[in-house]
Formats: sequence, structure tokens, C-alpha cells
Amino acid sequence: MLELIDITKKYKQTKAVKNMNMYIEKGEIVGLLGPNGAGKSTAISILSSLLEPTSGDVKFENKSMIKNPKSLRQIVGIVPQEIALYEDLSAEENMKFFGRIYRLKGKTLKNKISEVLEQIGLTDRRKDIVKTFSGGMKRRLNIGVAMLHDPEILIMDEPTVGIDPQSRNYILQTVKRLNKDRQMTVLYTSHYMEEVEYLCDRIYIMDKGNLIASGTKDEIKQILASENTISLKADHWNERFITNLRENPQIHQMKVDGNEIVLVVSKDVNIFSKLAHLAEEANVQLRAVDVKQVTLEDVFLHLTGRALRD
Amino acid sequence: MIFQMIKKQFLQFLRNPVEILLLIGLPIILITILGNALGNLIDGGEVDLTFKLALIEHEDEALQVENFVTELGSGDLPDEVITEIAAIAESLAPIETFKEVLHSEELNDMIIVEEAYARELDAIKADDSYATIIEFPKNFSADVLENILLDGEMNPEVIIHYKAGSEIAGNIIQQIVTMYQEEYTLGTFLGNNGIDPQQLQKMGTESKQEVSSASLHEPVSAKAYYTIGMIVMNVLFMATTIAQYAFRERQSHIFNRMIIADFSRWVYFIGILLNALIFAWIQALFVYIFAYFAFDVIWPNLPDFLIVTCFFTLAVGGLAVLLTAISFRSNSEQIISFFSGVVVTIFAFLGGSFFPSGTGSFLQKLGDYTPNGAAMSAYLSILRGETIADNIDHLVFIACFAIGAIIIGVISYPKRGAAS
Repeated sequence: MLELIDITKKYKQTKAVKNMNMYIEKGEIVGLLGPNGAGKSTAISILSSLLEPTSGDVKFENKSMIKNPKSLRQIVGIVPQEIALYEDLSAEENMKFFGRIYRLKGKTLKNKISEVLEQIGLTDRRKDIVKTFSGGMKRRLNIGVAMLHDPEILIMDEPTVGIDPQSRNYILQTVKRLNKDRQMTVLYTSHYMEEVEYLCDRIYIMDKGNLIASGTKDEIKQILASENTISLKADHWNERFITNLRENPQIHQMKVDGNEIVLVVSKDVNIFSKLAHLAEEANVQLRAVDVKQVTLEDVFLHLTGRALRD
Repeated sequence: MIFQMIKKQFLQFLRNPVEILLLIGLPIILITILGNALGNLIDGGEVDLTFKLALIEHEDEALQVENFVTELGSGDLPDEVITEIAAIAESLAPIETFKEVLHSEELNDMIIVEEAYARELDAIKADDSYATIIEFPKNFSADVLENILLDGEMNPEVIIHYKAGSEIAGNIIQQIVTMYQEEYTLGTFLGNNGIDPQQLQKMGTESKQEVSSASLHEPVSAKAYYTIGMIVMNVLFMATTIAQYAFRERQSHIFNRMIIADFSRWVYFIGILLNALIFAWIQALFVYIFAYFAFDVIWPNLPDFLIVTCFFTLAVGGLAVLLTAISFRSNSEQIISFFSGVVVTIFAFLGGSFFPSGTGSFLQKLGDYTPNGAAMSAYLSILRGETIADNIDHLVFIACFAIGAIIIGVISYPKRGAAS
């Protein structure tokens, strides 16, 4: 349905996106995962025709959209990372304005506004000025505005940044429902891997302008099929223990997160007796040792050597 | 869709009373302050400039003239010449003539002249009631006569003192003395070259009559002047306000939303143009209506006034488009801040919003090359009773400015969304 072919975007000397290839099929939810500054927003801007790539092509139903993006624009709805709303206008006035921009009018527009407000749970607040809304309500309205013209593809750029867990769940459920009930195609970018894991059928992982992995959740996790992720827990760590772990050649990756240390080690190696020995030697009391399910976070850590939110 | 943009802008203004207060309230406050503070200077009302002057002669003039005539006799001039020069010297009496000038009808109401002795000088200097003191040094008149009648080399000087805080009085006396000296010098020059001073006076009168013909038109009151001055200045802020709103649309990605909705960028900046034009119109109208009721500013020819307003608000629209385009291109609000903080002040100064720059002066000519200055000249001219036909050059300039700003704006507009 929609393809990015060998896309590169250069800003002076910096390459924000490097030779990126990506496709989105009708009716699927595709996740674009990566830390801040990975190039996700640039890729989205190119995909939605806001930005012209330095090289490469964007194809919608096999037609190039670089020079004539009109047909793509008609079926795309974009939810920017920022709250792209008029804060001094009410929810309904915002919807009317953007609805008219999408050339909806009269009864059609009126009905559509009511329908979307219902979907995003803001019917009761339709007359209220946006600046009086909570962060979560603004985010929901931000999504609602993008849905007014019934887009086939919804591009969501980190739509849950800076909101409470309740609103976040509401948004995730809304996206799931839109995809299920209306077969809406969704491109969802985030640096929250649990959101992407929950929502997406296929995932692209970006870092420093490069696509470093792509596939279904399981395919991506297969990258770590030959390795185990082990979690160690203790009341406190000491420098000697951490240094010993870092210097151990059998440990491929290591992340210290408060009372927990996550290690990625080869499946072929029995590391447990070694860990017990190192702990005893450094006088560290281990409280728990678990073999964890591989997560996308682990894959990202494995591929880039750093955490998604670093 | 343009209507939606105007409606949206209207709602935004409506919900920002501080913005409305700044755009409409500020010019009204400024008109009131400036109209009252500087009103007397423009309206020709009475400004109290009366001051006291002490006149001190260090030597009696009659005695000096007598000595001068006596000394003539000791030279080798023929008797007839001595008699003629003595007669002229007695009639010239420079200090007496200067006193006559000070006691003339024109200066009598302004300057209170008191003659004093040289020994009183220190006491007078300490007395704050005297604004200025003029000292005629010893042998002053004799030196003047020798200079004029015998081509002497002495160049006698009058000493002027003025007290701190009496700079205006000091300046006036300085000018009177200078004029007086020039008259004497001119008289001597004409006499030496055989030119009739009467002939020169006649030419001067004719020239003065020609200059005074400008005052045949209706006078413009200070409040009317500042109503126009403040409106043409403050309406420029509408361009920056609209450009600021547009830049916020860009920053919050609303503009991107519009581009993705395939909203033409041409339509977008026509919306910016019309927003600035319409709201500048409303802003100007509010202030004019207020000025009509509060300050009796009445337009003798309403259609002409409306035509000038149309042209000027079109220029404001053009400026809004230009500022929006540049801020979009540079991805910075700096140009808007610079325009509202610096350029508007310079334009207002040149355009004559703060004080009248004088008909035909360099400053006024320069001011006519600003949109507000050209509009101000046109408004003032209409208020004085002239017609739109007398202001075609101003209107042509404003229209060219508006079109130029729009064209530059269009050229510098980003082709795609804000992301580019």
C-alpha cells in the first residue's frame, strides 16, 4: 500500500535518515521504534509528504508521491507529537475548523464531529476551551482531529508522550479499536517498547537514522534466539561485582537498573554457577536470579548497546 | 475555507482580551497622553515663555558716542566728512537700538527688561528671578561705530549669561543678538556697496507672503494629529500579531496538518493577508470612532478617508504575509520581534507619529516612503480638506509597498510543510 524506497534525508552534513526501506500493508498496525533523535519523525514527515527526501522514493499504490502527493494526502491522517490544536478554541470549534479544512461541511461535518468526540470520549467537554483540558484530553482531541475525514492510514507520532497512564491506555485501546472495527492502517511511532509490543503486528527499529531491524515481534525477538536474558536482583551492588561482570567475556550485554542487573548471555553457556561464585567473591547477596522472556528492549540493547530511553 | 481562517482568528482575538487591549486600548491611551502633553505646540496655544532679562552697560553710550566724535577730530579727516560721520554715529547708537528691539511689540510680552548698573552684576547673578543677563562691555558702542563707519578692526562682543534651567530663554536672547548683529553687518555691507536696503525688504515680504499660503487649509488639532499618528503606528502591530499567530500555527504543527489536508499554501497566505487587512480595519475603525466621540475628530470627507484606510490596511496585510513567510522560512520568530520592536518605532518616527516633522522637511519626505508615513500624510491632507486626488502619489506608494511585500512573501514561502 505505502512504501519508502531507499530514502535518505540530509540536513547540511547530517544524515537524519539513511537508505531507509519500509512498507505498510492495508489494515496492519506498524510500529516504528527508536530513541529520541533516531530519525522517526523525519521518516514520518517524508512518508506523509511534508518533507521531500534527498534521495529515494515514496510510493502509494505503486505511484510515486514525491512530486504529486495529492492522492496520498487525501487518505492520510496525521497525529503529530505536538498538540496541533488551537488552545483558545473549544473542542468542537477545533473540529469544525479542521473538518472544513478537510472539505467536510453541513450535516456530514456535524455528524462526524459527534461521532469522533464519542470515540475519543470528549462528548461532555465539546464546548470547553482546549486550554482548560488535561494533557491526556488534549492528546485524545489531537487524535480525534486526524480521524475526522475517515483516513485510510493514520500516522501517529509518539501520541502518548507526557500523559497519565489512564489516558495512555485509553489511546492505545482507541487505536486497537480503530484498526479492528474500521480496518484502519496505522503507523505508530514510539520510544515506549511496551506500547509497540502491545499494538503492532510488524515493527521497524531505528537508531541514528538507520533501520537496524524489522519484522514481526517474534521475528525480531529471534535475533536473541541464541541468547538468554538473565535478571539479577539484590539490595545493593558493589563496584567489584559490577566490574567482574563487565569483564566476563561470556556476558554479551549488561544493564544496571537500580536493584536489578540485566545480562544477555549465550544460551550454550551455563553461567549460573559462575554468577554465584562472582557474587560470593564480591560479597554481594543475590536475592533472585531469573531467566527473562526476550523483550524488544533487550533486542534494542543487543543491537545498539544502549537502552531505548537513554 | 478563508472564512474559517477569519472566523478562527476572530475567536482567538475574542478570547485574548489582553491582546485586544494592547491593539485598541494602547493607541487610545497614547492619543490622550500625547494629545494633551504636546497639544499646545501643535495647536499654537499659549506656552508661557515669559522671562526676566537684566541689561548692564559698563559705560554710558552717550559718552562713548561723544568720545568717538571727539576722536574723529584728532585725525586727518576733512571737516565735512567728520560732520557727516558724527551725525550718523549719533543716530546709530547701537545699545539704544538694541533696547528698542527688546521693547518692541513682538518681544514686549515675552521679555521683561530691567536695566541695571555694573556694580549690581553679582547680586543679579545670584537672583533666581533673572533668567538671562546681557552685558555691554566698556567702549562697546564706540567699537561698533568704529567697525561700521571707519572699517575698524575691533570686533566688539556682547556677553550673555543664562541661568541653569533657563536654556530656552538663553537661546532666544542669543538668537536676537545674532539677528541684531547680522542686521548691522548687512546694513554696513549694503551701504558700502551702494545697494538700497528698501529694495531687499520688499523682496523679503513677497517671499513671506508666498510661504504663508499653506495655512489657508483647515488646521489639524493635536488630538486629531495624534489620533492619526497613533493609528498608523499601532495598526502596524496588527501585521506582527497576525504573523505571530501564524508562526504559532507552524510551531504547533497546525500548519502541517493543513498542508497534509491539501490546504493550498496560496489559500493560507490569502487568509493571512485578509486576516491582517480585516482586523487592521476593525482596529483602526474602533480608534477612529472613539476619537470621534472623545476628541471630536471629524472627517470632512468620509469616502476619501475610507479609501486611504483601505490602501493602508492592504499594506498591513502585505506586511503580515511577508513577516509570516520570512519567519516560516527562517524557522524563527526573531524577524517578527525585530519588526515590532525596532522597525515599527523607526517607521513611526519617520512617519511623524510622535511629532510633526514639518511640511517639506527631509524627515517628512523620508517618512512618506514608509507605509504609515504615506498614510499619515494622506490622512492629514484629507483632514485639512484636500481630496483623494491630491494624495494619489501616497496611495500609489502604499499600493506598491503592499504588492511588493506580498510578492517577496510569496517567493520566500516554504514549498512544503513546516518540516522542510
